[in-house]
Amino acid sequence: MLMPPFILHHPSTVDEACSIASDLIKKGEEFDWVSGGTDLLANYKWRINTKPHVISLSKIPGIDVVSNLEIGCMARLSNLEGSNVHPMIAEAAGKVASSLIRKSATLGGNLCLDTRCFWYNQSEDWRRSIEWCHKADCGTGSDCRVIPNQNTLCVATYQGDIAPVLMVLDASVHLIGPSGERVMLLSDFYQLDGMKKNVLEKGEFLLKVSLPKDSLRRVGSYQKLRVRDSWDFPEAGVAASWFEGDRNSIKVATTALESIPRIHTDEVGQIIDDGWDDQQSVKSLAGVIRKSVKPVNNTALPPNYRRSIVQVLIKRAFSQMK
Amino acid sequence: MSAGYRQQPNSARKDGKRVAGKQVFPPPGSGGSKPVMKERDLNFIPESVGGNEPQPAGSHIHDRIRTGTVVGKPLPLVDSNAKVTGQAWYGDDVRLANETIGKILRSPHHYAKIISIDTSKVESLPGVIAVATGADSPNSFGVLPVTKDEHAMAVEKVRHMGDLVACVSAVDEATAIEALGLFEIEWEILEPVFDPKKGLEDADEPIHWRGKYHLAKTNVQKRVFQEFGDRSLVENPYSSSHGKWTMAGVHHGFTEPHAVVAHWDPNGRLQLYTPQQVPHYTHRALSTVLDVPMHQINVIRTFVGGGFGGKSDPFPHEMCAAILARKSGRPVRITFDREEVYWINRGRHPSNIEVKMAADDEGRISGFDIDALIDGGGFASFGHVTSYYNGVLATAPYELGSFHYTGARVWTNKPASGAMRGHGAVNTRCAVEVGLDEMAEQMNVDPIDLRLANLLPPHSRTITGFRITSNGMREALERVREGSDWDNKFRKLPLGKGIGIGCGFFISGSGLPIHWDPNRFPHATVHIQVDMDGGVTVHTGAADIGQGSTTAVAQVISEVLALPIEMIHVRSHESDTSPVDLGSYSSRVTFMNANAAIRAALEIRDKLLNAACDILGYHPNSLVINDRRIYYKHDPAIGVSYLQALHKAQEDKGALISSGSYRSPPMGGVHKGAAAGLAPAYSFSAYVAEVDVDIELGLIKCTNVWAAHDCGKALNPLAVKGQIIGSCHMGLGQVLSEKMVYGRTGHLQNPNLLEYKIPSIHEMPHVEPIIVESSDPEGPFGAKEAGEGPLLPVLPAVVNAVYDAIGIRYNDLPLTPDVVFKGVEKKRKKLKLEDATELPSPRFTHGPKSIELQKALVKRSEEHKKRDLARQTTEDTSPYVNGVLFGFDPNIPLEDQVDGWRMATEPDPEQLAELGLAGKAWLKKEQRHMGGEN
Repeated sequence: MLMPPFILHHPSTVDEACSIASDLIKKGEEFDWVSGGTDLLANYKWRINTKPHVISLSKIPGIDVVSNLEIGCMARLSNLEGSNVHPMIAEAAGKVASSLIRKSATLGGNLCLDTRCFWYNQSEDWRRSIEWCHKADCGTGSDCRVIPNQNTLCVATYQGDIAPVLMVLDASVHLIGPSGERVMLLSDFYQLDGMKKNVLEKGEFLLKVSLPKDSLRRVGSYQKLRVRDSWDFPEAGVAASWFEGDRNSIKVATTALESIPRIHTDEVGQIIDDGWDDQQSVKSLAGVIRKSVKPVNNTALPPNYRRSIVQVLIKRAFSQMK
Repeated sequence: MSAGYRQQPNSARKDGKRVAGKQVFPPPGSGGSKPVMKERDLNFIPESVGGNEPQPAGSHIHDRIRTGTVVGKPLPLVDSNAKVTGQAWYGDDVRLANETIGKILRSPHHYAKIISIDTSKVESLPGVIAVATGADSPNSFGVLPVTKDEHAMAVEKVRHMGDLVACVSAVDEATAIEALGLFEIEWEILEPVFDPKKGLEDADEPIHWRGKYHLAKTNVQKRVFQEFGDRSLVENPYSSSHGKWTMAGVHHGFTEPHAVVAHWDPNGRLQLYTPQQVPHYTHRALSTVLDVPMHQINVIRTFVGGGFGGKSDPFPHEMCAAILARKSGRPVRITFDREEVYWINRGRHPSNIEVKMAADDEGRISGFDIDALIDGGGFASFGHVTSYYNGVLATAPYELGSFHYTGARVWTNKPASGAMRGHGAVNTRCAVEVGLDEMAEQMNVDPIDLRLANLLPPHSRTITGFRITSNGMREALERVREGSDWDNKFRKLPLGKGIGIGCGFFISGSGLPIHWDPNRFPHATVHIQVDMDGGVTVHTGAADIGQGSTTAVAQVISEVLALPIEMIHVRSHESDTSPVDLGSYSSRVTFMNANAAIRAALEIRDKLLNAACDILGYHPNSLVINDRRIYYKHDPAIGVSYLQALHKAQEDKGALISSGSYRSPPMGGVHKGAAAGLAPAYSFSAYVAEVDVDIELGLIKCTNVWAAHDCGKALNPLAVKGQIIGSCHMGLGQVLSEKMVYGRTGHLQNPNLLEYKIPSIHEMPHVEPIIVESSDPEGPFGAKEAGEGPLLPVLPAVVNAVYDAIGIRYNDLPLTPDVVFKGVEKKRKKLKLEDATELPSPRFTHGPKSIELQKALVKRSEEHKKRDLARQTTEDTSPYVNGVLFGFDPNIPLEDQVDGWRMATEPDPEQLAELGLAGKAWLKKEQRHMGGEN
């Protein structure tokens, strides 16, 4: 399978990366960022939304830092496993794909993972034969193939594992680009729809993730559903965390059920307001979240099943709660 | 190399210089780094000829030629060094000077007529070397002579998305890809058929047209009806089961995608490099398509990176490469993307299978009633055979009161299904074995005892007339029962944990060579050449696809000639040097090629012994052949080295050559379709699988498999174990996660290895391979197949184990978590339970009747065990005829049987109304009977 040609840029500082990006923007050239390449290059081989320029972050020193309060975008997932980061992050990182992929894949790449859909993650010939789709329409203005007769909404599914964990740990992301740096909560980073994915502006990239100090006191777990434990993307994922003994601190986030990972602040708040009564509350919470998520038929397992299973995952995520 | 053996002793010069023509060999004889003769290994010489090797099934005709050299010893495959060091050359490793890269233009439509193709823009693209379309290949081909329905490229219409339309070769891949976008094609879109049930109905435009033999205007490619035995037995069953199965299509998932290199040499001969299981079929098809005599084509089989049946058809891309190379005069290499591998498919048929079975109050199986509608996709491939196999391969290992089978294979607008490991037998076997489990459950008896009490003995004749010789079914069942601690686990494990049994039965070589009369030409031929160096060069067409056929051939020759295996050099890659051979399918290679190789080796052995006799003066019968030395039986000091004997034998005639062949004996019935499923021997297997079911998520984890397989005699136990474990892996994929998913638009949704979910090593259970050796009377040293049969029992064993774990019978494969979850929810709601973890575990509920029946079964199986042991060792091999258990007198001709024993290959008119889904094909008439096309 032949990679389509593109010009690869290798900046050696963050500033240089930003200036390459701003130059390309000025010239009106399209480009992508690449870190580990395990997501992007596979899509390129399938000729999905390829760009003439690719800017690699791999030669920039210092942006692969791994510590318990800060993780750089180039941190390899294999370096997160077994490191001194929050155990939930290590757990989730260790559940991403296979050990081979985790050697290349990075935290930044995982958070900015392209959304997936079986009408989209296909070869060019395949997509041509369905006359393309909304997300990769090749200029045809094609309809969405999951929800037909519309071409305004993309419902491709976000299937990253680490985002929900970072969300329930109150992580923030640092974005940098030609117009400077900004910091926001990870839960504000993602933005619908499946094409927009997140708030990154053109020329901006995710530089690092930082965690508040008290996140280290949080406990919880990440529950992932997949057919093969060896390397599949999540078909549903639930992260939950809390401070030991403090029911009001509960946070729950889900992934792989919609186009973006989502923190369920309202749903949790609703149950807590009613007074938390461990088992029963977990059950009610599971019911509420089940109702709130809207998976569609574009991954390996059918949406009804994935939706039902959210309840089990939530129950299991809370099984460690004392 | 001081005390070396010389070709002519005393002729060496004292000054150490070489005398012309006087080659010095290392002592004693040859054998390179091993100068000293090994002692005869009595542990690997059978008892019947004075060794220590136990023979459970009595003596074997090959016993006297055993030398204790390699047979029965675990041996790494002879080509493993090449593979593990990366030096094996697979299809895409072939690089010829001046090569060009070929790419195939594939249909974007499921079903369409090609009105016109304009290639002018493609031709004018710089870098394009040659372009070809269907117009360049008007001749049709197909793997079976009766169904030649394929072309190199679409001639008139495309039949599935991904079907070949045109091809192009260019200086590099990028140019070739660019060129594909420049074809201008005018299409007329036709109404596609995806649902095999719809394929049974008349269509405006059937996918293929068979003229006067076409069934009305349907898309039925083949229909089968078979009825044997006494149907009245099933009328008032004591116990019965009825399973309606939907089985998804699965793909072989071999590691190496298809690749081909074609080159017309300076003499105008085609040299075609391809990873083929059956190079000979490709050879024939190339000749037909290219209009070139076979002797002007040399098919070179590269190393094959996995085949499993998926590389046994002649393929259109092989023709394309040859056509492009002929047009351009330059070599053409075509390598598939993984997605293209799925377009060419030939995987297991998506199937709708209905199995009804009945048992009487003595626990005898009064009948199987099988209906199999299989989805063939766009082409016939091996489908003619598959249509039979789905029924007839279920007729053993059990003794049946009656057998009724209706099968139909339909064309649909999907990639073609074909042969895959366990060809045609896997899906029905699963349904049948699960049905037996269900009946055992109803009767409250142990399913292993139910099976043990209904087995056909060694040397028997199945209800449809297959000749079973050796039969290790009983031993296999007994050993997995013991190994798995079955009696302490079955129906006793807690909710979510379960154990299940499944059996298998498979052909060891297809009895009929497809392309010729078996009474006139052999199935397999092996040539041996031994020249002065003592090395043995073997020419065979056996296609090693990773299963170890080269090793098996080398091993048996090594055993007969008592030479170290590194002295045997197997040349099996080129059709120029290989005798015609049917290649690797239907688990035939070890049985047929090794038998042919033994015959060829025996000829060489005789020549060597005669030469030794000439030198030593002792009769060949009193000589012993052992590691590079031949000596007098009563005084081992009197002997000659292998090389001395060889050179004596070579005097006046040069290199020793010999040829051996194998032909299956005449066998089987005479009814229509009697040849399907006929084999010179059959393998048997029994597996017990243990599973953990996550009842809330619906996830199944298979934790342990005890896998007993009767391979007759394990020539190489290491290879047999590898085949058993590999089969387990493949079967687990089909039962748990693998599935070719066709979406609402008819597109294959998962043509890649991420979404087509083959289990990884992480999902593999612990497999305990148990080798059962029933010593087949006709197999090479008693061996039978071990490559396909071991796959069959995994599926039902897992499905039955899931029932044992959670009490739910599933009839949909694969058992993906959503399928399991759905079943759990249904049952939970039915039982009005709050939580799935409260489901009851299935348990025995013995009553007086079931205790009595259980005792009767145990008693019968004990009696049968004695019968079987006696039959296994007796010299009388006249068959036990299926039906004796039901009072059938084997000595009375079938037509005179009073109790309604019958055989039929067409339904009676009054039966038509009650036929199953596939049976509906019998409601249609062929065109010639409709006054249509003649």
